[in-house]
Amino acid sequence: MNNIVAIAQKELKAYFASPIAYIVIGFSAILFGWFFVNLLYNFDRMSLQAGMGMGGPDTVNVNEMLIAPLFMNVSVILLFTLPLVTMRIYSEEKRSGTIELLLTSPLTDVQIVMGKFIGALILYAAMLAVTLVHMAVLFAFGNPEWRPVATGYLGVLLMGGCFLSLGLFVSSLTKNQIVAGMITFAIFLMFWIINWIAPFTGPTMQAVLNYLSITEHLGDFTKGVLDTKHLVYYLSFIAFSLFLTVRSVDSERWRG
Amino acid sequence: MIEVQHLTKRYGPFTAVNDVSFKVERGEILGFLGPNGAGKTTTMRVLTGYMPPTEGKALVAGFDVFEQPIEAKRRTGYLPETPPLYPDMTVRDYLSFVSQIKGVPRADRKARIDNVMERTRIADMAKRHCGKLSKGYRQRVGLAQAILHNPDVLILDEPTAGLDPKQIIQTRELIKELAGDHTIILSTHILPEVSQTCDRVVIINKGHVVAVDTPDNLTARLRGSETMYLQVDASIDGAGIDAAGAIGTIPGVTRVGIADSRGGVVGFEVDSETGRDVRRELAAAVVSRGWGLLELRPMRMSLEDIFLQLTTQETTQDAAMQDTAAPADTAAEPVEVARE
Repeated sequence: MNNIVAIAQKELKAYFASPIAYIVIGFSAILFGWFFVNLLYNFDRMSLQAGMGMGGPDTVNVNEMLIAPLFMNVSVILLFTLPLVTMRIYSEEKRSGTIELLLTSPLTDVQIVMGKFIGALILYAAMLAVTLVHMAVLFAFGNPEWRPVATGYLGVLLMGGCFLSLGLFVSSLTKNQIVAGMITFAIFLMFWIINWIAPFTGPTMQAVLNYLSITEHLGDFTKGVLDTKHLVYYLSFIAFSLFLTVRSVDSERWRG
Repeated sequence: MIEVQHLTKRYGPFTAVNDVSFKVERGEILGFLGPNGAGKTTTMRVLTGYMPPTEGKALVAGFDVFEQPIEAKRRTGYLPETPPLYPDMTVRDYLSFVSQIKGVPRADRKARIDNVMERTRIADMAKRHCGKLSKGYRQRVGLAQAILHNPDVLILDEPTAGLDPKQIIQTRELIKELAGDHTIILSTHILPEVSQTCDRVVIINKGHVVAVDTPDNLTARLRGSETMYLQVDASIDGAGIDAAGAIGTIPGVTRVGIADSRGGVVGFEVDSETGRDVRRELAAAVVSRGWGLLELRPMRMSLEDIFLQLTTQETTQDAAMQDTAAPADTAAEPVEVARE
């Protein structure tokens, strides 16, 4: 456990000692802010139309019309930023030779992988924490329900965990950061759009594709629903990716 | 302390290390010598648990590096060819991280870090980022990292590579100092380094162990006779080359060859019977004839010669002696510089 903490701390220090953390957090905040403002204006107009009976929706709900779409938009930011976070995790250690330090220290592969994953997850949590400011504004001037907000954050955190663990695995395969980044991005995008062809396939295939889609599972979280089906999907996704990473690190020793 | 048994490592069809066996006793310094690609680094990587062997096994401090890796690694310090530094970390932060993952108890960490920074002379760089250090400092931070947890076994892959002569001397001294309570394996390209620091040498070529012995024994074993270099100014009475004949008659001298000749100044290679020191007789013979004695020194067969001989598989010793006598002298020069 101490070893996992040591590795996670080291990873975090590396993020914050280099511009990575500031760039990732800063620019994600700008993008999130833009989405927020956009949705806020949209919501404002809809509530105005509803209030004046000008053919808008019958009722307006800040949770459904502002917060839920906002969480869905977060996944767009993740798609682009998280590959940039994970692409260096292993690749850099391989290139600079520091992987030799880790692999010749009294650490298990699981400890190294867990430490790195937790480090990245904390950076990601810090990135999400910035968005609490926007939520605070909504709570100050409106009266949204807190439950969908809480589950929404949990869902987004878990989805980010999936991306991070997958990115970690890809990074463990190559010395080249660009290669790692590009492959990670492509796989993320694949999981995102995998169910786009679902309507044109048979019912079984449709169900499978919908189940695999990483964003499909986020919907319920943003509505305040905690369904074990989605929890299992995200957690098993993370566990499986981390397992693959451990195997990849181990096989690296054999291949030399 | 370290035992390597029939170690073989293959990368696909390529065999990097082939059936290597050797032992290192507690407190000993073993030099690992071989041309590039001989399998030195691969052997070291197996010993440190970085990669498993294809066949055979390695024991460090009684623990099989593959069966009980954690125990073995706890007792091993390793300096890879490129020091494994994180460029964005300061030297102190880096050592602090290493002390954590190497399992140094929390209470001892600060004292250990201060101690190794003192010993490796990097204390003044504590707050500098690792990425901004010069090559010499990187190497020393790498060494500090290796000895941080006070391991029984130290494995150093070219510890003096890239250092300036003064730092080389300091590093060698440090390594010798460490030898008392650590068992050390070091690989190097600098041959005099082996004779200066190591108790025993393993010469490895193309994955095979070619020789295991002490530097002195290796030198002696491959040297059938003693050779002296004698330089004489014989221009005074025009004796010149005739001097060879005069020297040849001295009892104990088996062969006289002319190594170089410039005007009247002639350099001779004088072979004598093994174990017989003919320096006095040589000097007396030269002086009594009224020639100027400019230089007289033993021409030992250096490790370079042995190394070349073993790794290029020269069969006749004489051929190797003649081929390498001249380069051996020049190659020994840098060490002289380094001593100053």
